[in-house]
Amino acid sequence: MDVALKIWRYDSRTGERKLEEFEVDAPEWACLLDVLDIIKDKHDGTLAYRKSCRMMICGSCGMRMDGRAVLACKERMQPIAEAGHVPVISAMGNLPIVKDLVVDMGPFWNKIRSVKPWLDPGYDEVTEKERIVSQQQMNAIQKESLCIMCGCCVSECNSMEADPAFLGPAALAKGFRFVGDPREGNQVERLVAYNDEHGIWDCTRCYFCNERCPKGVDPRDAIAKLGAESIEQGIDHDMGAKHAKWFVTSAKTTGWLRETELVPKTQGILSAVKQTGFALGLARKGKVPPPFPPHVADRVKEARALHDLVGQQGRGGADGIIQMERALARAEHGEAEGAHRVSPEVTPGVQPPVAEG
Amino acid sequence: MRAAIEAHDSGADVALLSKIHPVRSHSGAAEGGINAALGNASEDDPDKHTFDTVKGSDYLGDQDAIEILCYEAPEDVYQLENWGAVFSRTEDGRIAQRPFGAAGEPRTAYAADITGHVLVHVLYEQVMKRDIPAYEEFFAWKLVVDDDRCQGVIAWDLVNGGLKTIGAKTVVLATGGAGRLYVGTTNAYACTGDGMALALRAGVPLKDMEMMQFHPTTLSPTGILITEGCRGEGAYLLNSEGERFLKDYAPNAMELASRDVISRAEQTEIDEGRGIDGSVLLDLRHLGAERIIERLHGTRELSMTYALIDPIHEPIPVRPGAHYHMGGVDTDVWGQTELTGLYAVGECACVSTHGANRLGGNALMETITYGRRVGQHAADWALTHTTVAVPESQQTDAERELEALLDRSKGERPWAIRDELATTMHENFGVFRREDQMKKQGKIVEKLRERFENVVVEDKGTLFNNDVTQALELGFLLDLAECMIPAGIERKESRGAHARPHDYPDRDDENFLKHTLTRLVDGKVELDWKPVNITKYPPQERTY
Repeated sequence: MDVALKIWRYDSRTGERKLEEFEVDAPEWACLLDVLDIIKDKHDGTLAYRKSCRMMICGSCGMRMDGRAVLACKERMQPIAEAGHVPVISAMGNLPIVKDLVVDMGPFWNKIRSVKPWLDPGYDEVTEKERIVSQQQMNAIQKESLCIMCGCCVSECNSMEADPAFLGPAALAKGFRFVGDPREGNQVERLVAYNDEHGIWDCTRCYFCNERCPKGVDPRDAIAKLGAESIEQGIDHDMGAKHAKWFVTSAKTTGWLRETELVPKTQGILSAVKQTGFALGLARKGKVPPPFPPHVADRVKEARALHDLVGQQGRGGADGIIQMERALARAEHGEAEGAHRVSPEVTPGVQPPVAEG
Repeated sequence: MRAAIEAHDSGADVALLSKIHPVRSHSGAAEGGINAALGNASEDDPDKHTFDTVKGSDYLGDQDAIEILCYEAPEDVYQLENWGAVFSRTEDGRIAQRPFGAAGEPRTAYAADITGHVLVHVLYEQVMKRDIPAYEEFFAWKLVVDDDRCQGVIAWDLVNGGLKTIGAKTVVLATGGAGRLYVGTTNAYACTGDGMALALRAGVPLKDMEMMQFHPTTLSPTGILITEGCRGEGAYLLNSEGERFLKDYAPNAMELASRDVISRAEQTEIDEGRGIDGSVLLDLRHLGAERIIERLHGTRELSMTYALIDPIHEPIPVRPGAHYHMGGVDTDVWGQTELTGLYAVGECACVSTHGANRLGGNALMETITYGRRVGQHAADWALTHTTVAVPESQQTDAERELEALLDRSKGERPWAIRDELATTMHENFGVFRREDQMKKQGKIVEKLRERFENVVVEDKGTLFNNDVTQALELGFLLDLAECMIPAGIERKESRGAHARPHDYPDRDDENFLKHTLTRLVDGKVELDWKPVNITKYPPQERTY
């Protein structure tokens, strides 16, 4: 089949940047990576991109197709070629480009390192036996364990675009991989660290990371779980945490979001007082209801029931929150009614026993 | 990485050097599992593991090396679990183990069907914890050999360009296999046998290079690996008539016979017209959706992406593909090569634990157990010996050689040579081997070598220039083909992966219960032999 591509070429030494079009003959089964290989072999040996396993496990070939992060080895070209579309291929976002489709992964790995990405059981290694942990407990970190560190989520992260220091979806998913591990001994310390500035509450919940992750890791879900776990552990000093908490309290008590109380509850009284003028202005235009008497929704019982239901889901309601947050549940096989996986409770600090015999 | 961790923990100053980032290593693509006699799923012990491995190797494995592997494996698996490896679990919360081909007991510990991925990442976590420096995207091109010692490597810096010499008292090669010698392979693009070729060029012999394992279930047409775990979970192999054809080849073990046995059975079915478009079918449907999703999620993802087939509803088309090199750099049980200071481990080495045929699940185990041993020995050696200054002339010579390659502007680019090598190796040095075909292949490789001498690199720059490294990789592959062919021709018997049904259909213990050794002497490959170490298990007939 004939496949046409446009590729953004770039040279970080000269700053030269140009869009080049290529047309090649490729087999029907070709993925984007196969097409790039044909271009490099037969058309332009100077084209730079990374590759290795060509089976979605090594994480080398993250790049953008039509502005969307993909693994080149995962994107079949036949439907695109048949539709007569000429996709634009470019390097991943949020990372400095070295050459053509190759980015500098240094900043990516620095963030991974900053979440202390290794199991810290809090006691010396025992190598005589494994620890006893149920499959159900291990399932808590099943998705996060799938991460191949390709950088697609980081490429797409809107929050990181605004704040390059944001830890970002990959590092935080890695963080949850340890917080959620029943063998981990430092869950609380980790949660405190991930609650710092540029931490979990900087996520804007745009869901691009979930959507673009080629492995189904769902980094935003991991961030939501870290948030729920933090509040469960009483780590709620961040405005983001207070904001989330007040949303819940407000919805539970009156079935509505009480905006007038949101600012003092989130930012504190002092900050709220400073914004009184702004609030009065809003009130005059009828944009906020008067704080007293509290306006209670007609069907507040339903809101409360929903709150209770969510709270019953695994990990202190985290799974429930994720289900609520999902605009569209993935139509995965056997998950027709949306995500139903219930994670088990893990009690921080309680270590699993070592196997006997 | 396992060797680096152990060397670090033994007190040595150690660094990793890799042409791709360490987590991109092809070990991550190993799906099925890692073998250790933990006894979590049955009564098992290291002796049974040893026997299965010896038998699986068609008695070409060195039994002392196999015993070390099987006895030390359980503790190494527990350590991986302690480091955080996300193993699948039994009902009572221990590490789960599944049956694997040619294993007498369910011995393969696993993490769903992403065991390699999980282990690569847990090792890299430990590397980060120890802050072991890594020269990422450094392409090792030459070993520095002086004073009869290996003293480091000369590497091409991919990102910034230029050759850099990295001096070291000991160098451990852990570069994996050379599956890219074949057009149908499970191996990554990175698997170009670099370490084997480096050792060969330094005068170190390679052992049993004719022994290339063909994995029976690689996805058509791309060659992507479909794990043996599928058969471990109970999948069937069917021919075009819908028969479980293994009843005619391995009536007892059926789909769980050894890999070489199944690959030959498949190839026979295909050759005799009972295949479907050059493939047979791997049927998972009777396992049910739930089990497929829970334990073979990755397999389903691969087959849906690359063959547009959902194994819950349709069987997967599979065929044999080049998978694993049992042969490699000749080492002792501490990974030492003939050259002082040079070690090798994993697929690029040949201790030999796999002999003529490797059992599924033993490769990951070898990388871990022997990785630890090599790391320890290399560190001990380095800590008790003094540094010798690396002579600058070696880098100057290498620079001159590379310049000659980069300056050449008229001639052929490498890809056609690479593709022809891979296609002809598959045709003439594949699952079944014939004397005339192997000799023909020798001539073909000779011609390809002549063409390679005048090869042209299009990218002349120094910024992420992997056009030049891909040319150098082809040079490595040609070297290895030149070792495999004479070893294959001279092994006049059928043993394990080396099957000669037309002229020497039987194993010949009297004449060939020995390893081939190939080494470069004055630019020519010379063949030699080396005895097999037999401790407990005298050779028997091998049936499944």
